[in-house]
Parts: sequence; C-alpha cells; structure tokens
Amino acid sequence: MDLSLEIIAPEIALFVGCCVVMITGLSPSQRVRDLTAVLAGLALVAAGGLAANTPLEAAVEAGLPFPAMVGYVKVLVAGVGLILLLLMAGTIGTAREGADGSFNPLRAERGEFYAFYLFSLTGVMLCASASDLIWLFLALELTSLPTYVMVVMSGRSAESRSRAQEAGVKYFFLGALSAATFLYGFALLYGASGSTRLPEIAAAFETHGVGSLATLGMTLTLIGVSFKIAAVPMHFYTADVYEGSSSTMAAFLAFVPKTAGMVSIIVLVSTMGWRGATSGFFGSETGQLPVAVDVVLWGMAALTMTVGNVLAWLQSSVKRMLAYSSIAHSGYMLVGVIAGPGDGAMVHNGIAAALFYLLCYGVMNVGAFAVLACLEREQGVGRRAEIESVDDLRGLRRTHPGLAIVMGICALSLLGLPPLLGFWGKFPLFTSAISAGRIPLVVVLGLNSAIAAFYYLRLVAAVWLEDPEKGVEAATTTPFPTRRVAAGISAAGVVLLAMPGVRAINASERAGAPGAWLAPFDLTPRANPDEAGAVEAHHADTDQDDARVTASR
Amino acid sequence: MLTLAATDLSSYLPVMLIITMAITFAVANIVLTKLIGPSRDGEVKGESYESGMNPVGTARKRFNVRFYLIAMVFLVFDVEIIFLYPWATTFTNLEAGSHESLVWLLRILFFLLTTVVAYLYGFRKGVFRFD
Repeated sequence: MDLSLEIIAPEIALFVGCCVVMITGLSPSQRVRDLTAVLAGLALVAAGGLAANTPLEAAVEAGLPFPAMVGYVKVLVAGVGLILLLLMAGTIGTAREGADGSFNPLRAERGEFYAFYLFSLTGVMLCASASDLIWLFLALELTSLPTYVMVVMSGRSAESRSRAQEAGVKYFFLGALSAATFLYGFALLYGASGSTRLPEIAAAFETHGVGSLATLGMTLTLIGVSFKIAAVPMHFYTADVYEGSSSTMAAFLAFVPKTAGMVSIIVLVSTMGWRGATSGFFGSETGQLPVAVDVVLWGMAALTMTVGNVLAWLQSSVKRMLAYSSIAHSGYMLVGVIAGPGDGAMVHNGIAAALFYLLCYGVMNVGAFAVLACLEREQGVGRRAEIESVDDLRGLRRTHPGLAIVMGICALSLLGLPPLLGFWGKFPLFTSAISAGRIPLVVVLGLNSAIAAFYYLRLVAAVWLEDPEKGVEAATTTPFPTRRVAAGISAAGVVLLAMPGVRAINASERAGAPGAWLAPFDLTPRANPDEAGAVEAHHADTDQDDARVTASR
Repeated sequence: MLTLAATDLSSYLPVMLIITMAITFAVANIVLTKLIGPSRDGEVKGESYESGMNPVGTARKRFNVRFYLIAMVFLVFDVEIIFLYPWATTFTNLEAGSHESLVWLLRILFFLLTTVVAYLYGFRKGVFRFD
C-alpha cells in the first residue's frame, strides 16, 4: 500500500463500516438491526486504532502543513465520536420500523442514521488529510451533507419532527450558501496561485507574494468555512438549528462540523503562512499572516466571541444558550489560528492551542448536552418532550444528583475554571496570543471569558443552588442508559484529561508542529529544512517541552 | 497509387467483426422473437411507446414516485461508469502482470463493490419490488 493510501486508512475503515451499517440497519431480523449501532462503534474503534498509527512520513510526503495534525485530529474525532455514539441511543425511533414485529424497510431509518453519522465523521477525517483544494471541498461537503438529513431524522414525535424539519431545511440552505461561498474562494485561490495542491499554492504565494486576488479568495473561503465552525458572518443558523434538532444531534453539530471547519481553516490559512516577522512577548520572534487576512480573521474572532457570549447571556432556553456559547468557543479557537505556530512550543503555538481546545471543547460540550439529552418532561397526555429552559434544570441536585455533578463540572469547565479541562484549553490560547504580541485580541478574549461567567454560573446555580419549583413535576430521565454513560465519560474526561500525567497536551503540541513547507516562515533555529527531520527532531524535543508545559502550570 | 490490393485489409478485421455481430444480433433477435415469443397483440401494445406514459392526451398528470427511485438507482451506476473510463485508459499503460497493475485492478474492484453495496441497500429497501 503506498503512503497516500496509508494516510486515509482510517477513512477507508470508516467507509467500510458505513456500508455494513447501512445494510444491517435494513435486516429483516430485529436482532441484527439492534447490532447497527454496535457495528458503527466497532468501525469507529478500528478507525481510531488505524489513526493512532498514521505514519508521519506519509503526511510529510503529502506536503501537509502540520503533518502530525492528521493523526491527532482523527484520533480525536474517533474518540469523541464514540462518546457521541453512546449519546445517540434512542435518537432514532425504532417504532417506525413497523408495528407488532412486522418490518417495513421503507420506514426504517436506523441504518441510514448511523451510516450518515459515520459518513460525516469520515468527512472530518478526510479534511484532516486533505492536501488539495478539491479534496478539501469534497471532504467538507461529505461532513455536512449527512448532517442536514440527520437533523431532520432526529425529531422523533410528530411535533418535534416538524421542528426538526424546519431546522434541517434552514441548515441545508445556509449550508449550500456557505459551500457556494467557499467554493468561489477556492476558485479564486486557484486562479491566484495556478494550482489546487496546497503545497504548490503555498510555494506560489511564497515566491510571488499574496496578491489582491488571493486575499479576496482567502476572505471568501474564510467566510464560507465560518459556517462550519459557526463563526460570525455565518452564525445565524446555530441557535435555531440546535433548538430544532434533538439534544443528541445538537451535541453532534457542535463538535463534528466545527472540527472539520477548524482543521480546514488551519490548513488553508497556512498556505499564506505566518511570515511577516513581528517581535512578540517572551522575547520570541513570531510570524504574522498577510495583513488583510489577519484583519479578516481578527474581526471574525473578536465578533464571534462577543456576539456568541452576549447572545448566550440573553437566552432562557438551555439549548440556545449552549448554541450561542458554541459560537463563542469558535471565536476562542480562531485566536489560536491568528497567533500561528510561533516557535513550536505549546505555550507559544497557537495552532497547537486551537487543536487542544478542540479536544477540550468536544469533551466538555458533549457532557453538557448529554445532561440535557438524559432529561425529559411530560407534556400533555403520554407525550414526553426534551427539557427546554434553564428553569427545567432547577434543583437538579435533588432529583438527579449524578446528572447535576456532570452539569456542574461541564459548565464550570466551559467557563474555564482552573482545575478543569477548559482552563488548560484556554491557557495556551492566551499565552500563544500574548507571545505573538496580539494584546488587543487577548483583552477581547479575557473580557469574553468574563461575560461567559454570567451565563455558565447561572446554569450551575440553577442546578446546584436553587430548589425545584413547587407544583411542577420534576423532569425524569430518558430510558436510555448509554446516554448517562456518555455523560459520565465526558465528565470524567473533563477532570482526568487535565491531569499532568495525561498525554493529551503533548499530543496536541506535536500535532501543532509545523511541517516542511512552513519551515521557511519559522524564524527559530529549531526549524529544520530537512523534511522528515523537522518533525522527527520535534518528536525528540517533546520531553523537554513537557517539562516546560508542566513548569508553566 | 493506392489500390485496394495494396491496403492491408486485415486491419479492418475488427470493424468487420463488429458489423457482423451487430447485424447478427439484430436479425437473430427479430427472428427469435417471431419464432419463440408468444404473440398476443392488444390495443395498448399497439400504441407507440412513450416511456410508459400515455402518448395521447395531457402530459400533466401524476405518475408513480417509483420512477424517481429507478432514476436514482440508475444514477449510481451512471456515475460509476464515468469513473471507469479514466481508469480503463490508464490501466492499459501499466505493465501487464506487474504488481502495480494488480493493485490498480483491486482498487477498481473495491470501487465497483461500493456500487454493489448501493444496490444491496436498494434491494433491502424494496426499490426493486414492483407490486
């Protein structure tokens, strides 16, 4: 097997999984149909295992800007994907498959749902290994297209179905708009550089400079891809779509397309490189993106953080609040992209910080949504609906102490409280932005972390300090134990992944190590023009960096 | 001067072969239908064929949604064929019997297998059930 195929081995495994799941979901035997989700899980485990062994040389040879990012993102996606899969139990009603034992294949949706689930994750993985604009476009669309259908499928009862349909249609049309926008951007980038291959585009920009056409192309691309990460010009859909789809699906939407978008932005922006040398804090020299692109990203990041946090503060529905907070978190990650790879050390490397924040955000956000997915409330006779408002969570500590703990941990971590994962995620974002000399941006980031405290603390207070409303029947748990398992795993992840012994931070630091074609812009002696050498040398250095990261704590 | 005798006729052999096959196929089908097919004529059968639609009258009427399913199932096959052309033209350039050609063959077989999956899915879903 040649190297290019070795990179996408996890994707191939997932794709085979998709095919199997699609067929088993339509099996006439109930027992085989019940295996569908298990098979999807097995495919994810296989893909994760293959991803952990992604050969670095292959990624270097493919000319990827951050060769180690490929394996990191894929393992991350497979891992969080497994938690999400546990959470997804019961999202697809099996009642529609046919009454009293008979089986109606036209009504069955299980196979499609889990196959789409895997297809979407395959798309994210393909984004991570993309070395070509066309490849990247197809990968982004493979991520998004299944999610449009999954949103619609996630409505189970007749009423929530019509809401889910509305959400799905909105999501689809805005998604199509964004795809058109970034495809136009891709076309302009191709026109400006004469190639669709990312390393060649980077080489063209390095020799001929970044012209106005390329800047326009990059701007359109960033605006288009901002739909995937729910960043400001394309954030409008977020609250409506998250609210209309089920909590489980909202958890999926908040992580999977966001990862694809963030990875794509990192890869695309690095074609222009962090070149213009500016002197940063900590005495290190650092690079900067071309001014126009930098301004666009700066505006996007600042607006995304502020709009997300302020609007989240105004919400009374928990799902809408978490939706707006997911917008804000995208803004935080963009700060890392603006800061750039710096000299490669974790505290100076914005890319590693953004990648680590993806992991933190994925884990803690799934936990918060999992609590919502575990709770439901009787509405009318015999109809059960998901809980909606913050009031529904009041006094959760009395009624469901386990879920209250999970909600408390996850909300405080999303806020960024020190011992928890969210703090360790935000910390490198701050330090990398400071070391890149982006003080105004750091101030915006700090202010936004303060605004975020308002609504996250309100969530914690509702759960832990307030008493249940009198005369209102308490919310009950959903009959899907795996959802509670998913909530527990996320909460455990938030606590344990932040421990010094865990290698998550080191992995993301390696993932953020710039590859060969960023080496010319890398201003430090660490950068080695010898291709594989640059990464290998970095591997050897990791232990020293571990010490530095630990010391900085 | 180019005479018929000077031209190497053997290079036209494939063309002749195709023409012969075409004629044989057409004639054989017509003759065999006449010989072994049941000949039951009717009013509907006598009408001119219009892709299953009624050829006389308004075209604005409902027809079975199943036609869309057929079209979608066909699309899978159609798209697959498009990818077979570049593969086929490249494959002939590879050294016969080499390791590389085997890899290429396996790759396209994997690709074709995905079509089988699509049809298997369609079959399970009941797309091919006409009752």
